[in-house]
Amino acid sequence: METLLWLEATALSIWLRESGPAFFGSLTLHALGMAFLVGSHVATDLRTLGVAPGVPLSLMRRFRPVAWLAMVVVTASGVSLLLAYPTKALTNPVFYVKLLAVALAIVVGRVLATSLLRSSDSDAQPSPPRAKLLAGLSLLLWAGAITSGRLLAYTYRVLMAADVSP
Amino acid sequence: MTEALLEIGRRSGVHALMSSAWGWPAAESAHFIGLSVLVGTVGMFDLRMLGLARGVPMIALHRLIPWGVAGYALNVATGLLFLVSAPDQYLYNPAFQIKLALMAIAGLNVLIFYRLVFAHLRLTDPEADPPRSARIAAAVSLACWVGVITGGRLITYYRPPYHWCFWC
Repeated sequence: METLLWLEATALSIWLRESGPAFFGSLTLHALGMAFLVGSHVATDLRTLGVAPGVPLSLMRRFRPVAWLAMVVVTASGVSLLLAYPTKALTNPVFYVKLLAVALAIVVGRVLATSLLRSSDSDAQPSPPRAKLLAGLSLLLWAGAITSGRLLAYTYRVLMAADVSP
Repeated sequence: MTEALLEIGRRSGVHALMSSAWGWPAAESAHFIGLSVLVGTVGMFDLRMLGLARGVPMIALHRLIPWGVAGYALNVATGLLFLVSAPDQYLYNPAFQIKLALMAIAGLNVLIFYRLVFAHLRLTDPEADPPRSARIAAAVSLACWVGVITGGRLITYYRPPYHWCFWC
C-alpha cells in the first residue's frame, strides 16, 4: 500500500490522471489498440474455422504486423492507465483475470501462427480439428479479455490508496 | 426527442435491463466485441486494399465481410440500448454527434464502394495492387471507423452539463 501511495503521488501519475488529453488519449489509444489487436486475431480465427476458404491459410500470417503494432499501442496505453490509477487496478481481482485472458490469447495466437500458418501445406484442405479448437478458444479468450476489461470500471473497490490510508 | 426516447426505453423494458446490476457493462462488452469483429473483417479487408498482406486474394478475403455486418448489427442494437437509456448523454454530446456523422460517411462510402468500385476489384488480378478507387474507399472506411471508435470512447469525456449542438 505504501508503494501505491508513493506511486500515485508521483508527478507522472498525477499528470496521467488529471490531464484530460493524457487520460482520455490513453483510453482512446487503448480502445483502438484493442480493436486492432483483437480484430487481427479474429480474422485469422475466422479463416481457421472455415470462413473465406479461398484465402490460403498460411497467408493470414501477413496480417501479423497489425497484431504486433496493436500490441505495442495497447501495452503503452495500458501502462499509462495503470500509472494513472495503480490502486484501482491492482486491488481488483478482475484486473488479473483480464491480464491472464490477454496472455493466454496471445499464446494461443502464437501457437496457431507458428504451427498452422507457418507452411502452405495446410492451405488446400480444411484446418485440422485441433486448429479449429484453438481458434475457437482464441475467440473466447479475447471476448473474456474485453469483458473483464470493461468490468474494471464497475468492479473496483478502492480508487486511490490515499482514500483508504489513515 | 429526449422524452420520446426515454418513453421507448421505459415501455420496451430496456430501462429495467440497463439499470440492473450488470445490464450496462454487459451491453458495453457486447458493443466492444462487435466493434472488434468489425475491425477484424472490414478493417483487415481495408488494410489489404491499402497494400498490407500483399498476395492475399481480395475477393476471397471479402468473404469475411458478412461477419463484419453481424458485428455492426450487434453494435447498432447495443448502441440503441445506451441511447434510449440516457438520451441526454448522447444527443447533446459532441463526441456522439461526430461519431454519428462519421458513421454516415462510412455508410455512404459502403454504397459508393459496391456501386462503383467492387466490380473493378473483381476484375483485378488477385495478386496485383487494387485500383486507385478501391484504395481511396479503403482509406475512407478505415479513417471513419477509427474516428467512430475514438468518438465513442470520448463520449464520457463530455459529461453533462457539457452541452454542444446546433439544436440546443
